[in-house]
Amino acid sequence: MEKMYAYAGKTLKVDLTRGKVHSERLDKTLARRFLGGRGLNGKLLFDMVGPEVDPLSPDNVLLVASGPINGLLGLTTGRLDVTALSPLTGIFGNSNAGTNLAPELKYAGYDNIIITGRSEKPVYLLIEDDHVELVDASDLWGRGIFETTDILKERHDDVKVGAVGPAAENQVLYGSIIFDYWDAAGRAGMGTVMASKNLKAIAVSGTGSLEVADPGRYYEAIQDAWLALMNDLGFKTQEHSVLGTAVCVGWGNAQGWLPTRNFRESYFEDADKISGEEFRDRFSTKEAPIPAGRACMSCPNRCKRYGIIRTGKYAGTRGNIEYESIAAFGSKCGVSDFDAVFHANMIANDYGMDAVSCGNMIATFMELMEVGLIDREHVDGLDLRFGNADAMVEAIHRIARREGRLGELGGLGSYLATRAISDEATYYTSNVKGMDSIACDPRGAKGFGFAYAVASRGSDHLRAHPVFEMIKLPPEVGKELFGNEEAVNLRKYGGKAEMIAWHEELGAITDSIGSCRFMHASYYAQYPVPEILHRVFNMKGEVHSIKYHEWISAATGWDISYEELLNIGKRIINVERAFNLRRGIRRKDDTLPERFFRDKVPKGPAKGEVFSRKMFKKLLDRYYELRGWDLKTGLIKKETLQQLELDDVLEILEKEGLVV
Amino acid sequence: MKKLVFNSDLCTGCRACELACSFINEGLFSPSKSRIRVVKFDREGVDVPTGCEHCENAPCEMVCPVKAIYRDEDTWAMILDPDICIGCKRCMIACPFGAIGFDEERKVFFKCDLCRGDPECVKWCFTKAVDYTDELHVDHMKQVKRARKEAAAKSRARGL
Repeated sequence: MEKMYAYAGKTLKVDLTRGKVHSERLDKTLARRFLGGRGLNGKLLFDMVGPEVDPLSPDNVLLVASGPINGLLGLTTGRLDVTALSPLTGIFGNSNAGTNLAPELKYAGYDNIIITGRSEKPVYLLIEDDHVELVDASDLWGRGIFETTDILKERHDDVKVGAVGPAAENQVLYGSIIFDYWDAAGRAGMGTVMASKNLKAIAVSGTGSLEVADPGRYYEAIQDAWLALMNDLGFKTQEHSVLGTAVCVGWGNAQGWLPTRNFRESYFEDADKISGEEFRDRFSTKEAPIPAGRACMSCPNRCKRYGIIRTGKYAGTRGNIEYESIAAFGSKCGVSDFDAVFHANMIANDYGMDAVSCGNMIATFMELMEVGLIDREHVDGLDLRFGNADAMVEAIHRIARREGRLGELGGLGSYLATRAISDEATYYTSNVKGMDSIACDPRGAKGFGFAYAVASRGSDHLRAHPVFEMIKLPPEVGKELFGNEEAVNLRKYGGKAEMIAWHEELGAITDSIGSCRFMHASYYAQYPVPEILHRVFNMKGEVHSIKYHEWISAATGWDISYEELLNIGKRIINVERAFNLRRGIRRKDDTLPERFFRDKVPKGPAKGEVFSRKMFKKLLDRYYELRGWDLKTGLIKKETLQQLELDDVLEILEKEGLVV
Repeated sequence: MKKLVFNSDLCTGCRACELACSFINEGLFSPSKSRIRVVKFDREGVDVPTGCEHCENAPCEMVCPVKAIYRDEDTWAMILDPDICIGCKRCMIACPFGAIGFDEERKVFFKCDLCRGDPECVKWCFTKAVDYTDELHVDHMKQVKRARKEAAAKSRARGL
């Protein structure tokens, strides 16, 4: 049997209907073509879930996968991918969590888990190296994330735990899977799929070892990547590592893209009350001069901010908080009481639901109340005005428990809920393809905005994550990489299609090897950006960059070039597109919420900005050209699939008349 | 003499030290084969690095019946020689830090030897939560830190 380096080498298959588990060898060809994580899961989802499958039926699958460089000391390699057909959007769904469960799964001997069917009664999946078992979870069902995790850690000697909470059990469509108390595979309702299978938790402990193909070369590659990060200007300023992602509150406000009052505005007058600095000063528990945050495995960025509310009515609330959840329950709902925002995030966390979708849902209710499209009856008498923190906190409880009309509607997410209310109401939800937008206003950041429109899981920044336009890179870098100096400019459109396409491809790789978005975009220590910067600034000395191709090649023993990596990225994106095409997605769906084309930003640094409809069309045409997709329909062209060696995908699409 | 010191205030829980250790000593990436360990308390938000303290009066050395554990005069590390070790597990039981590991596959014990005076874990610790530093310095810094707290308390008491 040929040894597989870097990978653990096995796939765990769990059939919940029959209550059976077994392991088999990881499909090496599949791994070579899709690497792991999101790429591997995306292809499995395409193969296993047809267009007729209902997301909450036993026929949906839940796919959990680590990547080849998880657990191998490379920086920022603690990410895990969870993929399924999304109950929130009805299309491709996945979510990525930074969790110690990712490497642990590999130390236990498995690269990925394929979960099918539905258990008759609640169970949890216990993995202790070779010992794999489905254990009765009747006593855990209905319990919150914190309690469930406590119990499992106590029972099984500090295992790594991924659990679903009451929100997912009650079929809130955006239920999350929460790992070790705080680390969420938050988006797209992956937790709801897991709960629909009667699977309460996954608990893993592993004692095994991982080997790389060429240890000397590998160690050198990861040391070089380490040096690249240490030399990066962005990392040196320490913003993310000092304040965590919460740094974006101040950043977004200053640049005019902090969504405020349900995306009506992009500047929050009280941003300094919910900022990263405020979190550090009020809640942080670490007293060191550079607050040592908490980190995923072998990550020097340590972006997780841990804090505790010490006084007041929410005293005792504690946990990790991120920018997205601060914006969701803060500026988007017009709430400036940080205690309430922090507390809101933690109860959403304990219920196990996506803070982004939940915050957007409540903000949508608030705006609908204000414009008079719903009245108090719709929300069971709750005074859901912008800025009413108490009503917001109460709404979270009711949504998670699906109490009353508010709970019924709120659990659907802002897109389906507004559709259920009235046609007019749908104007007041910011979503693409049913997925709630994250905390960045497309009018203030054109590249981010465009990325929402083409992202495979709907309105989402994490497919591209084009921080490129936010960090004031020299225009020469935009010119060199994307053929247009405007690519580095937040408010300009030039080169943005190219910029997004490149970021998506590299992003697909990052998600598939088990690495983090911070390394792919945020710091730009990634090959070839440091090389270009070195040249542009006439810098002396040696250039260090994060070379994933070198890194993966040394780890796996495969010879993968930078160009091939981008090609694998394209392959991954096209498989996801193919999955979505089968579920009816076409060009008309690749768009932005109408509001961003129509309503000018009323105040703040981005005052007067809209997303130009004309420019959007131009960008989309260009993007389709780059992707090899049909301009009219948005279908994938035959030669594109052939080029990417996706013949099996082509065959299926051809049968269904979905190829041009 | 230098000492390997662990500081949970600075630890981020990233466990790079564990992987660097297992790689340098075993050529593998495997926390279970690491000489150093980070115990994570996720709910409390605390991470505690722990490993061999290379004690002055080392219990492991005292209980070893075959003298497989001895002091290295150059680095002051307590060394365990797997070739002499008879696998009686006494050291494992005696060590108050749980710093003696057992390799199930090869049936030998292992422990930190300070990488012959150049500990790999320290090189990968970005926040210096694991540090290899002069003992006197450790002592001195403790005094300063404690004194600083007292001074701060005094100035607070005087309303400054």
